[in-house]
Amino acid sequence: MDRRTFLGYNAAAAAIPLSGAALSSIAGAASAAVRPAPVDFKSNVPATGSFPEKWDCGSSSCMDNKDPPVQVHWYNPHTAILRQNKAYSYEAPFAPLYFGNDRVLLLDEGFTQLRNEWDLRGVVDECIDDWCRRNGRDPASLELLVAFSHLHGDHYMAVNQFADRPNTRYMGQTHEEMVGFWGMTNFPEERVTLDLGGRDILIWGSPGHVRSEFAFYDSYTQILYTGDMFYRGRCYISFWQPWFDSMKRLIDFCDTHPVAHVMGCHVEISKSGEDYPYGVTWQPDEAPVEMTVQQLRDAFAMAKTITEPGIYFTGTVFLCNQTRGTTTIDRNPYRY
Amino acid sequence: MAQSSTATSAPPPSASARTYPNGNPELSYNPPGIRNTDSAIPLHPKGPRLHNYASDGPAPGDLAFRWIFGSNVAATNRDPRVQVVQYNEDTFVLRENVCVHWEAPFTYLLFGNKGVLLIDTGATSDMKHYPLRPMVDAIITRWCQARGRSKLPLTVALTSGEDIAQNQGLVQFAGRPDTTLVPAPLEVMKRFYGLGTSWPGGTGKIDLGDRVIEVIPTPGTHKDGVSFYDPYCDFLFTGDLLFPGKINISNDGDFVTSLERLKAYVAGHSVKWILGGHIDMMFVPGKYYRRFVNYKPYERVLEMIPGLIDEALTYAREVKGKDMMLIRPDFVLFNGVSPDQRTPVWPAGVPNITPPFHF
Repeated sequence: MDRRTFLGYNAAAAAIPLSGAALSSIAGAASAAVRPAPVDFKSNVPATGSFPEKWDCGSSSCMDNKDPPVQVHWYNPHTAILRQNKAYSYEAPFAPLYFGNDRVLLLDEGFTQLRNEWDLRGVVDECIDDWCRRNGRDPASLELLVAFSHLHGDHYMAVNQFADRPNTRYMGQTHEEMVGFWGMTNFPEERVTLDLGGRDILIWGSPGHVRSEFAFYDSYTQILYTGDMFYRGRCYISFWQPWFDSMKRLIDFCDTHPVAHVMGCHVEISKSGEDYPYGVTWQPDEAPVEMTVQQLRDAFAMAKTITEPGIYFTGTVFLCNQTRGTTTIDRNPYRY
Repeated sequence: MAQSSTATSAPPPSASARTYPNGNPELSYNPPGIRNTDSAIPLHPKGPRLHNYASDGPAPGDLAFRWIFGSNVAATNRDPRVQVVQYNEDTFVLRENVCVHWEAPFTYLLFGNKGVLLIDTGATSDMKHYPLRPMVDAIITRWCQARGRSKLPLTVALTSGEDIAQNQGLVQFAGRPDTTLVPAPLEVMKRFYGLGTSWPGGTGKIDLGDRVIEVIPTPGTHKDGVSFYDPYCDFLFTGDLLFPGKINISNDGDFVTSLERLKAYVAGHSVKWILGGHIDMMFVPGKYYRRFVNYKPYERVLEMIPGLIDEALTYAREVKGKDMMLIRPDFVLFNGVSPDQRTPVWPAGVPNITPPFHF
């Protein structure tokens, strides 16, 4: 019994009535006390949950921003969605935190490296402690998987904050390490299943924005997390054909699996469809992060008609086909 | 003990009895220009102390500090919200904190014997976030105390009334006593400067009392753009018409004409520096910060030499009539393209240096 288990033991033992069978030995009592019945992630799916009415979306003056550095929203009791504050990084990526009976999956680590500037590690530890307190678990017994959706700095910058965390595995920052982390041998077609302990996460390759990107499907909430290859904003498509193939894979998946929400990593668009320019730190009328399957299908239908590089608005997202370096949406407002 | 030593020592020298109240000009550390400043102001002036704004060449002064450049995490920035640099005793340069607003505009405060002029007002209207008015009030109060005045009329003028990076602070001065706000609508503004019929030709004047600031119409980035010339420091304040950064040309014909006008003006006047409204460039040639950046540790200096007008004019003619951007070592021209436009074209003969990226 390690120190954290020992400290947590009495409280847990008082809270959970023990059955006679489990009291056959002291050790048995201890393990029964710290490991109550596992959470059932398989029945009553999709688990209901909710997104906030409005996320923290920056402020007109960054140095006067009083929002927390990381906004933590519990989608449901076993799923948290984290978002970096716009005044800490303009990228303000969203990062889901999925809890299972054996391990926890953190997808994406934001765009600030140093813990003294932006303490992601502390917030994640707090979320895990919170969940364990609610579910009578020992935080030390849960393994944390620190992964990221794709190989871009605004999605893995804080990964080093987890380097010294016990019982933690984190993804390496090369394509081979990323693919190897999930045990894939046939990227991007192969779909693997990650078992968080009764909660399956389906993972497959989704290149197009960059070469090394994954899509994640949580079988419990049925949220399809599409990273930066499809999100409410400017989907910078660096490689058209791989992106189109990835879209096809997403559509095929939606044809065969129930999907409650499609969710990307950023929001760069207002509720009225107005584009928030790259780098802006205040999005007062921000659109929600979640999208519907129909919106994904509409984007794919439009993508089928696209043959030229350029910027195409699907009604939900901007498809920026190979335009990153040369074209943007914004205009000089003072032109006369 | 102390009393006895005071009694035996000589009385302190009287300032007025000295031969040179402002310092002996023969001494090497008192160069001629220094004599024109009020470096020896009486502690308790009896009446208004007038200053002689006539000087040979540019009045001495110094932008001795580097600009505060924001921080990686803007939310935790604790720098002053308004950075004040005193160029000389009658000239102040104010800058908005980069973490309050990424444009970090410069604002200039010029004193004369009968008035004070504030050029531009910053990008933030909220006085709690950007206390421009309290800062300007404090500077004026201290200046008035030193020069023996109870009040001094303030004029607030803008290099462009429609530029939201420079006109937002104007509301802070609404209702301020002894204050004239130059009206923003173009027609009214022209009449205010006496340019109603000659615009965009001719020049207007703002008389601060022995320091007459000239107003030169310079539309091009804004249709109501003006530049200001200070004959005391020999500065040309060009707002966002010409500054070390990303110049968004709004009408290329007007832009070229305005630069021609400035070139002719500079030929007839002594200009030490051109001071613009912002800095976007880095200290390596041709590299610049994109929009919305709250951390600019590699900023170029603010001041530009007047010779850059010729260069700007040459390349403004080149981009005229074309939708393109064009990189030069000290500025970048954007004509008819998005402010986020990028280009793979690098100017010939300019070293292509990549500054280190911070993390």
